[in-house]
Amino acid sequence: MNEIFGATDEQGWLARLFAHAWVRVLALLLAIPTALAVLVAIFLLPRFLADRPVEYSAIEEHFKYGSTGGERVSGFPYWIFQAMPGVCPKLLPGGWPSLGFVYEEGRDLPVGMSRRNYQGVDRVFFNCAVCHTSTVRETSEGKARIVLGMPANTFNIFGFTRFVFDCAKDPHFSSEFVVAEIDRLMQQRGEKLGLLDRYVVYPVAVALMRERLLMLAGRFAPLLQDTEWGPGRNDTFNPNKILFNFPISALPPGERNAPVDFPSIWLQKPRQGMQLHWDGNNIMAEERNKNAAFGTGTTPPTIDLVAIGRLEEWLLTLQPPAYVFPIDQSKAARGQVIYAEYCAGCHGANGREFSAPPGTEQRECVNGNDDDLYGPRVGKITRLEYIGTDRRRLDSFSYDLAANLGTVYAGYPYRYCHYRKTYGYANMPLDGVWLRAPYLHNGSVPSLRALLEPTKARPSVFYRGNDVYDPKNVGFVSDLPEQGGRTFWRYDTTQLGNSNTGHEGKEFGTYLSPQDKDALIEFMKTF
Amino acid sequence: MSGRTSGWRWRKILSWLGLLLVAGAALGYYGWTKFFREEPQEAWVNATPESRFRYGSIGGERDAGVPYWIFYVLPRMFPEKLPGPGGYASLGVSWEQGKELPIGFTKKTVGFPRVGNTCAACHTTNYRVSAESNPAFVTAGPGHTLNLVAFFRFLVDCAKDPRFNADNLMREIDLVTDLPWDERLAYRFLIIPMTKKRLVEREKQFAWIYRKDFTDWGRGRDDSMNLTKYFMLELPMDDSFGPDDIPPIWNLKKYDAPGTTMNHAGDSWDAHSVIIDSALGVLGAPPKDNDEFLGHVKWLQEYLTALPPPRYPFEIDASRAEAGKVVFDQQCARCHASDKTGRRMALAGVDTDRARLGTWNKSNAIAANKVVSKMGIQRKGLVEEELVGYNPPFLDGIWVRAPYLHNGSVPTLRDLLRPADQRPKVFWRGYDVYDQANVGFEAQSEGARRVGTKHDTALRGNGNVGHEFGTALPQPDKDALIEYLKTL
Repeated sequence: MNEIFGATDEQGWLARLFAHAWVRVLALLLAIPTALAVLVAIFLLPRFLADRPVEYSAIEEHFKYGSTGGERVSGFPYWIFQAMPGVCPKLLPGGWPSLGFVYEEGRDLPVGMSRRNYQGVDRVFFNCAVCHTSTVRETSEGKARIVLGMPANTFNIFGFTRFVFDCAKDPHFSSEFVVAEIDRLMQQRGEKLGLLDRYVVYPVAVALMRERLLMLAGRFAPLLQDTEWGPGRNDTFNPNKILFNFPISALPPGERNAPVDFPSIWLQKPRQGMQLHWDGNNIMAEERNKNAAFGTGTTPPTIDLVAIGRLEEWLLTLQPPAYVFPIDQSKAARGQVIYAEYCAGCHGANGREFSAPPGTEQRECVNGNDDDLYGPRVGKITRLEYIGTDRRRLDSFSYDLAANLGTVYAGYPYRYCHYRKTYGYANMPLDGVWLRAPYLHNGSVPSLRALLEPTKARPSVFYRGNDVYDPKNVGFVSDLPEQGGRTFWRYDTTQLGNSNTGHEGKEFGTYLSPQDKDALIEFMKTF
Repeated sequence: MSGRTSGWRWRKILSWLGLLLVAGAALGYYGWTKFFREEPQEAWVNATPESRFRYGSIGGERDAGVPYWIFYVLPRMFPEKLPGPGGYASLGVSWEQGKELPIGFTKKTVGFPRVGNTCAACHTTNYRVSAESNPAFVTAGPGHTLNLVAFFRFLVDCAKDPRFNADNLMREIDLVTDLPWDERLAYRFLIIPMTKKRLVEREKQFAWIYRKDFTDWGRGRDDSMNLTKYFMLELPMDDSFGPDDIPPIWNLKKYDAPGTTMNHAGDSWDAHSVIIDSALGVLGAPPKDNDEFLGHVKWLQEYLTALPPPRYPFEIDASRAEAGKVVFDQQCARCHASDKTGRRMALAGVDTDRARLGTWNKSNAIAANKVVSKMGIQRKGLVEEELVGYNPPFLDGIWVRAPYLHNGSVPTLRDLLRPADQRPKVFWRGYDVYDQANVGFEAQSEGARRVGTKHDTALRGNGNVGHEFGTALPQPDKDALIEYLKTL
């Protein structure tokens, strides 16, 4: 080889060149900075090429704190997240806990936040648990019990969104204030910010984060003027439009103001073959899950499908916890008869037996006939004119959005193809229904007892976000604006999207005698 | 070195050359694969004739196509350049739920995935039986919801925007897919700059759609003959303007009748010619392979010749329709079901808006025929005569062909049976909820005003005058006639 390519020639040529003293000096001058740069690069590369989530082998811990991959694109640097309430104290006087996050003892992050070291910085962001985990207390002084998979009844994601955007707009959200606050917090833990972090990493991170949040804030702004979601709710499909960058302010007004309750996510296996989401717009859990995962910050290239797959597998059979108060079994037995007559047709035999008929688990990607989506059966859709509940959520999922959703995950084998515009709300299975208060898709009825009353007898104003249980009415305590130093959110049924009408009349059990209602409710505690 | 023989030197040069050749061939093959190699579309596309018509490539991706990922991110980057929220859906395309692209948009890999168009983009009708239902799609029907001019402008406007650059586009693309490194480089340094250049170049030919003194085509119309003049003939812009309704293209066998001509003004001799000329417009360039191109044309012609018009989807009062047939035979048949139908007819006496006639002439026809024969394509072609008026159309599937008259200036059949001065002066076209009472689409409802485009009959090319036939009939006769028209 040497001979063919004339290496001997080059050696001679090089040797002649290096015979000059100035060449040797010049070479040395060049070599020193190059070597230094290489050394620095070798030192820094492992840090800035890192992509390591904090992993958990126990599935419950993985659900609570494991990553969906969302921190890569959407993560907040861990220390900035910790510093934000201190940087913008006027915007969030109670700190992160005041937004109803669930904190476990000894944990520096709430349930529903995962952590990943990515490109040189520890980043944190939501996972599924933030919207699907909450707490329940038997008495106001009692200990809060964490329930995985239940609707995040106390978590105020509207408040979170508003705070984060407002803080990014605040003049204090600059490296000057943020780094100082990080210093303070780290000192409390006996840690110290390194030079590189102090002068390069965090100033850059603050600037990038601010730019990104301001961009998102601009897109979100109109939605934050709409009916507040309050704890336990979010507007699912208007933020989904932001993903496509539909100009929100140009949407037909009827599509806006569509907050709904977070759902429970137990027992997914018997749900296979059902129309999922409140309006039953998709039959495929995997598409629904990937779409929900956008809320945890993922994008098609960054989503961690293995991590999410573990959760999907686990959720197939995860059961809701049993009712914590005593149940009058003979009363419940009477209630079962009433339930069978009035409720079972649409909601399944009980809290566990509600699966779709075998063979209906799949649905072809494109099927022109949508008639088989509807019917008086669990997992099918009841048309709005029959159910009569608030129509905002239904209208928020427009045909145009359904069509656009067919483009999501293009280029991957799991591109969405099952989203359908529907014209009603899906008949939900009622597993663990006692923990799923308030009721109806928009959480407009605080308790099962209130749901069995006609609209005019249901409370027109109540409070959401309390985790103290009300066994009398079956739901969370909803008549107190504050309790035990915690304040709750006033739900006003007259606001757009908040109507508590519908699901009433003879067929919906609102004409039953008080005794029958009692029995029915007793039976539903067993779900 | 001095000891080397000349043989050594030659061997050295030859090995260098050999290496270069191998490297060059490898690079060439690589380049061909990445930029030109064509892959067949996914199997489902051609699985049924309907699906082939809707999504099957006719070769429009090669020259007129937009690189897939650019097409994908443009509505996200430039939503303000679309007529409303909803991405491409705001253009009134016919979009089946669960599909990656709207009907008439094709995805095909020519080196890299590209999006082209096919006939179905303009020739598919959306209708909904009520506002609380999903659309049905009528194959080969007029695309009355499609805002074609907004689509043309959107692509050009995006390309002209300074934000249309590799940095911004790549950032958006990276949010939705992970391209391999070589494709990222290709996008960044070749595909994005070339796409920008080619789209911006279209602006000159599209100059007339930016003119402030011309009205918008609105949904469901295109200025078809001007498109031919400025794109196929590359003529300089003149002052003519004549948007007309996108026509249905089902049941083409009716044009087998001798003496029939096609297009609103009888501009073209036969279906074969019209399909070729329209398909060339979709290609945006001469076909790469005439045999392949004419194969697509042949398939389209056979499919569309046999395709029946759609049936009216609501109830029809049979006895009233029967009575209406009598009225039709007296009032309408002499033009619409006779040897005058589909043939040229002088404007005088019909007196509808004449703007469309000014957009085309004999010398245009001669020039266009020359262009096509130069491509080596044989067809009977465009009629090399001056335009005299509009052909009285066949009325098959007329219920779904609203709005009416060649320029879509009358929203419903009931309005068409009123004297011109009693027809709506302003209405909204391109909304897909059907109006059974008036036979047409809702044109004044809240939904129509929100979704549709405003049609002002006072503006140039929009006149709703003329065709005052049957307008003096007694109301029961009009009702009966309309009932009969539903059956066609």
